Amino acid sequence: MKILRAIDKFVLKLEEFILSYSILLIAVMVVGNVLSRAITGSSWTFSQEISRFAIVIATFMGISYAARKGRHISMSAFFDMAPYKVRKALAIFIPAFTALVMFVLAYYSSLYVLQVHERGTVTSSLQLPAIYITIFIPIGLFMGGLQYLRNMWVNIKEKDIYLGTDLKDYNQNENLEDQSFV
Amino acid sequence: GGGDDTSGEGSSEGSDSGSEASSDIEAQTWRFVTEEVKGQVQYEYAAEFAKRMKEKSDGKITIEPYEYGGLGSETDQVELLQNGGVEMAVMSPGFTGNMVKEGQIFALHFLFPDSVEKTQEILNTSEALNKDLVERYEEYSITPLSFWTEGATQWTSSSPLEKPSDFENFKMRTQTSPLIIKSYEAYGAEPTPMSWSELYTALDRGTVEGQENPIFFIGDASFNEVQDHMTISNHNNYVAMTTVNTEWYNGLPDNVKTLVDETVEEMQDWVYDEQKEQNEKWLEKIKNDEEHPTEVVELTEEQRAAFKELALPVRDFYKKEVSTVDGAILEKLQKEIEDVTAE
Amino acid sequence: MVALLMSIMVVLLLLNFPMMIPLIVGPLVVLWFFFPNLDPMLMMQQLQTGIESYVLLAVPLFILAADIMTTGKTSNRLLDFVGAFVGHLRGGYAITTAATCTLFGAISGSTQATVVAVGKPMRERLLKAGYKDSSAIALIVNSSDIALLIPPSIGMIMYALVSNTSVGDLFMAGILPGIIVFLAFSIFSILYAKKEDIPLADKVPWKERFRMTGKALLPLGFPVIVVGGIYAGIFSATEAAGISVLYAFILEVIIYRSIKLTQIPKVALSTGLVTSAVFVLVAAGQAFTWVISFARIPQTITEAVLGPDPSQTFVLIMVTVFFFVGCMFVDPIVVILVLTPIFYPVAVNAGIDPIHLGVIITFQVALGSATPPFGVDIFTASAVFEKSYLDVIRATPPYIIMLISIAILLIFVPDISLAYRYILP
Ligand code: NA
Ligand code: NA
Repeated sequence: MKILRAIDKFVLKLEEFILSYSILLIAVMVVGNVLSRAITGSSWTFSQEISRFAIVIATFMGISYAARKGRHISMSAFFDMAPYKVRKALAIFIPAFTALVMFVLAYYSSLYVLQVHERGTVTSSLQLPAIYITIFIPIGLFMGGLQYLRNMWVNIKEKDIYLGTDLKDYNQNENLEDQSFV
Repeated sequence: GGGDDTSGEGSSEGSDSGSEASSDIEAQTWRFVTEEVKGQVQYEYAAEFAKRMKEKSDGKITIEPYEYGGLGSETDQVELLQNGGVEMAVMSPGFTGNMVKEGQIFALHFLFPDSVEKTQEILNTSEALNKDLVERYEEYSITPLSFWTEGATQWTSSSPLEKPSDFENFKMRTQTSPLIIKSYEAYGAEPTPMSWSELYTALDRGTVEGQENPIFFIGDASFNEVQDHMTISNHNNYVAMTTVNTEWYNGLPDNVKTLVDETVEEMQDWVYDEQKEQNEKWLEKIKNDEEHPTEVVELTEEQRAAFKELALPVRDFYKKEVSTVDGAILEKLQKEIEDVTAE
Repeated sequence: MVALLMSIMVVLLLLNFPMMIPLIVGPLVVLWFFFPNLDPMLMMQQLQTGIESYVLLAVPLFILAADIMTTGKTSNRLLDFVGAFVGHLRGGYAITTAATCTLFGAISGSTQATVVAVGKPMRERLLKAGYKDSSAIALIVNSSDIALLIPPSIGMIMYALVSNTSVGDLFMAGILPGIIVFLAFSIFSILYAKKEDIPLADKVPWKERFRMTGKALLPLGFPVIVVGGIYAGIFSATEAAGISVLYAFILEVIIYRSIKLTQIPKVALSTGLVTSAVFVLVAAGQAFTWVISFARIPQTITEAVLGPDPSQTFVLIMVTVFFFVGCMFVDPIVVILVLTPIFYPVAVNAGIDPIHLGVIITFQVALGSATPPFGVDIFTASAVFEKSYLDVIRATPPYIIMLISIAILLIFVPDISLAYRYILP
């Protein structure tokens, strides 16, 4: 168990690092490009490509982190109104089915990755293999699927209802302050 | 009607290729994607193609033309064809340059003659393109059936562009292709890659100062409203290809394949006339637009030569850095072009 | 096919699935059943295509700028500044709220950021001034919606993405409608304060006003930089967003020192979390659009709803209804991503200006998000203020009436949205 917990913590830190620094990388690329154009007169031709690379990574590698924090956007009106037993059942069924969908998508997208690899497509500015970007789609989806399985498991194991392993349903837990809304 | 001006070659039944040849054709629907919207050359090409195929097959073959839009980027449409999601596509080689490197040949400035008619003749007859380049594409499940021009590309700008020094520190909007960027760097410009959806505003606000496109596209996208000058430079041609999925095409019954080939061939003249008409119509419109006046200047042969001199070294870059066959296709094409222009 | 697609999506949506699931599963089932030759792998490619647009990069950047400022002192400075000038008037605090939401909206791209940044500190002041809590919350929620109309606006970026229109032009076009909403809310606030006899606050002396203005001067530079920079052609919308980040950074980290440099990665993490949650929807939305375009579903739906050759007004009314109802149930971004590709071609064919359409759509999205029963802003407010759903919606009817009236005005007078073309040289 100790090892599992250590792995979990490592994955969490890694996800946080990737999310945070890919956003900062985008900021640096876009700002750098403007400043370079203003000061030296020439654009950073690689700026767009690296920014796109960062946004794909942030999006897909963020899936499991957002799932852990229960932050994926959903229409919870009916869920919130439902009695405990229904909510509990849904809290197990929804992550289970979501995980299944994630794994199916991970499968299809890895086929796509293989195709990109076979065709040897390169990016237009840096001429790097396009697969460097694409590969993060199945990885992110797969990690997301795993996290949803954990969301399912915590709801099976615990009595309380969890929206993510790190977030209890706020219908029973009023501690909302640590949720930052943007 | 579609059958009227066919030569009828390839059809053993004679000049009227209608009912008997099509009697054993199964009813089927094909999808034909384009990179342009209704009214523009590519889409109108697909619509006309569909009309002719329907007539020839006695209504058995329905082709649905798709406008640019919901099916993702141009590159996505290429992959859709490669995977057999659609049967046919009009594509610009520029969007396959990350895969079929040789296709970037069409980005080279002053390669084709300044006469669009001569250019079309070369596109029709060139073995370098219709055989050697086609083979490169077929490695990726794309079979180009024909190459055709949508017209010569021209410059529009906020200040006159008549000699290379006019490009000094000039912010030129380009696509992201390295070869296109190189071409403008060769003139001393500052190429700024940008999506065309942002281009109108960027030209209006001066974020970029100029762009290149065929005249019909300049007019259709209203770029002349936000530009003061248009230079008839004929520095390049906007070339498009009629393509089919290779495996699908090879698997067609002979009679159907014949209909396709025949229509592709007829369409070469049709699309030449179509682009000519559209480009001429828009040129007049732009010249006569008093609300948004645009000064139109045609480069002289000497002026073109000054640009061409700077553009030539880009061909070496193409041979060394881009081509996977050391520029063999380019060299063959250059010879073919010399032959046609020498006539 | 349309019925199957819709029923799958509605059921999954109502069951509280993460919204990417209905967006993906619906089209996937359509592919499996109706297009067995089309490899679902190609749909996966659309997940990537959907988020690779350069225009879209403005979204995380504007959110990051807003996050930096929400963590720092910007919103309080704006509040003090506006309050010093209008706080003593009839309904002064309410007007301050609306004005600050408008100003903060001019800094941040999103409604929720505005609710958090302005709503939290302002609610306390409103309560102290004698406003009822439900009135205060209704005011905050609806005023925050102005943020969607005033540039920068994430809703407009999404519309621009799907419709290939210019973000810069949309930004300009939203300003006047945004100001009209602000004026309507201000007039209402004055009338409301009169009726409820809310005591007047003391007038702030000029010396203090100058001090507050001085403190707010730098944050007030934001709208100038964003709108001015785009308009003057110095940079694109995405670059304007980048400059916002730089500006927020310089302001909060270097000048005010309200955030330490070492805190920045943590702020960016919060931005990254929201970005991922939103961009997953953009990715799924593109996959959805791709499948329905392939199946020609937009044509089927618009023909059924609008008939052949509909008039401009009829198209706009149907657009209004669909987006309004859509946003009562679903996140605004999803509504824009899903419905715009369906209605855009018909609307443009009917001769509607794409920028005008964008303003109408953004306005409906803002209105629908604040409208019961299921507007997303209501849930945000409910969570942020820890108030029950009913408390949040109790005082909203007057605002909804005002917003619907303005929506009708916008539909029939396109020149309000397009005024920027005459006003700006
Ligand atoms: Na002009
Ligand atoms: Na805003």
